[in-house]
Amino acid sequence: MSGASARLEDLSACFQGIIPAIIATCSADGEPNVTYLSQVYYVDSRHVALSCQFFNKTRRNVDENPYATVLVHHPVDFELWRLRLRFQHCETEGELFERMSMRIQVIASHTGMSGVFRLLSSDVYEVLSVERMEGFLAPAESELDLAPPVSSGPLTELRGVQLVSGRIARAPDLDSLLRGALEALDETLGFSHSMILVPDDRGDRLVTIATRGYGTVGTTAEAMGRADADTRESDVLGADTHSRGGTGAEVTLGGGIGAEVTVGGGIGAEVQVGDGTIGTAAEHRHMIKVTGMGSELRYGRAIRDRIEECGDAEGLSAEIPLPGLPDAQAQLALPLLARDRLVGVIAVESEDPLAFDEWDEAFLQILANQIALGIDRMQDEEEQDSGDGEDAGTKAETEVETKSQSTSTPTAATPVTAPDRSLETHHAFVYYPNDDCVFVDGEYLIRNVPGKILWKLLREFDESGRTEFTNRELRLDESLGLPPVKDNLEARLILLRKRLVARCPGVRLVPVRRGRFALEIDGAITLEEKECGA
Amino acid sequence: MIPPELFEFIESGVSVLVGTRDARLFPDGCRAIGARVEDNGAGLTVFLPDATSAGVRANLEDNRRIAIGFSRPADHRTIQIKGAVTRLHLADDRDRECIDRYRVNLDESWSMVGVPSRFTERAAHWPAWSAFVRVEGIFLQTPGPGAGAPLGQESPK
Repeated sequence: MSGASARLEDLSACFQGIIPAIIATCSADGEPNVTYLSQVYYVDSRHVALSCQFFNKTRRNVDENPYATVLVHHPVDFELWRLRLRFQHCETEGELFERMSMRIQVIASHTGMSGVFRLLSSDVYEVLSVERMEGFLAPAESELDLAPPVSSGPLTELRGVQLVSGRIARAPDLDSLLRGALEALDETLGFSHSMILVPDDRGDRLVTIATRGYGTVGTTAEAMGRADADTRESDVLGADTHSRGGTGAEVTLGGGIGAEVTVGGGIGAEVQVGDGTIGTAAEHRHMIKVTGMGSELRYGRAIRDRIEECGDAEGLSAEIPLPGLPDAQAQLALPLLARDRLVGVIAVESEDPLAFDEWDEAFLQILANQIALGIDRMQDEEEQDSGDGEDAGTKAETEVETKSQSTSTPTAATPVTAPDRSLETHHAFVYYPNDDCVFVDGEYLIRNVPGKILWKLLREFDESGRTEFTNRELRLDESLGLPPVKDNLEARLILLRKRLVARCPGVRLVPVRRGRFALEIDGAITLEEKECGA
Repeated sequence: MIPPELFEFIESGVSVLVGTRDARLFPDGCRAIGARVEDNGAGLTVFLPDATSAGVRANLEDNRRIAIGFSRPADHRTIQIKGAVTRLHLADDRDRECIDRYRVNLDESWSMVGVPSRFTERAAHWPAWSAFVRVEGIFLQTPGPGAGAPLGQESPK
């Protein structure tokens, strides 16, 4: 029975991939074909695009006979809608192709099929009619059987935008900016699981420097609604599950936050650019949303199994665990761009497959722009402060030196707080110069530029008792390898500070004032340099 | 012929999709509400809900050509059977038993992928039509390489 017609744009939820669509086609000699579809993409009010990953029977049929019928379920009320289509053309490049391709790239990377499972073309169809299949669902017997209404509205989001932009504008430093933005997203807009990552010094990875909703230091899996932290920690590639080996500490977490989430709020978790939702957003510098993760992953795994059965497994790699939430059903990642520079990625996720609608995408894009500009502004101000010439730096150093004259150690600065150097606590730091990696008490702590910075601070403290340092002197220290401009130093210090809080709370970096911080150490430390594998 | 190892799969709680076409080769489709293997695999009865299969039935009256996809939601294992419908009539009590059993199994398999029972229970199922299909071809349809190839000829390397 044919039913009520509708506008294509009113069915956007049907195209989120939460419930697979069905396509019926027919060959030129009159043989029908029916199968599931992996992706129906809304193009405009009169067109949809279907993904083509394999030149299969469906594709051969529409090359011969352009008509198709697609059935899509609405994911909220499960109603079935019929789209009658006519194939128009296929696209193998351009914005539409890139957008559809990114989504497949995410699933491919999560299921270890990067480069193997990919979009061949975006097949564009004209929509001839849209109608509900009347009678597919019997009337609900009670209101309980009806799907809950989806609440979303511009007023709530506008207040959220107002709050976030206000916090960004008032933030005195980068840490406050990031924390304030994620708090506001949670408190006003309900994005309770979010993270911000910044590029590392090589630019091929992103490092998590702010999270919300993944627990904090010492938080267990129970706080995240999970029963078994140990199980979780063992089934993902966790930064802290790696022991020291001959090739350096590997802390890549693929799609995002993994085991690390259970113990340190995910700070320090890394994502390879190009991997998963977050890495793909960074690589393409484009927002990406993946909904119906469960359905998409099942589809991807089915293809992976078939590839293995066909003997092509050599092109496959290990499956990448999903980001923080074990049951994430929707992920949205947005690149943070200041002019043409990637300053980070903000990602939100939810266990609700319908958590993010088009409206969310629109205002999150606005917020992402604000956060990106805020980060960029912080970096400019930071560098300006440091570069305010020799005067500012010299003055600061003079102050330090003046204070140091009153101490027993000629070259040491005055400690901000007297460290407790009792022997009751002791931390053994080991530095591996091959990859600038620091371990504390046998556990991985941090690496790369933040690792070098920490080692510099610890050595100066150990050799001279010095406890106060400036950002400027770090910038001037060529051994740290900071780039001459946009060095991201503040982000690296935030990462270092948070990793210490999570892993070694007896050693702290405490901001004193803008561009200056103190190293506080409880108990005693020992420092040792080792070669990899030693 | 449907190989015996597929009998159980076809009659389990897999999604059953039906494709047909009209005289102008315009395709149409609907969800079926179960299937039963007949004649030791030479035939198949597929059950079409009256409420949603008017177009499909009109096509079958016109040209008899049918494609039926069987897909397991949990892992997308899918086969497609093609053939000709030789009988089409209102489902009887014996068919009703199959349909009721299928609905229980479907609820279980859809629940595994997150479709709530409140939807499965409301899905159109009765009255229904029984379409007897003479099997002419069976194809692998699981997504990935080899999809669309005749069963047993998926050309593994």
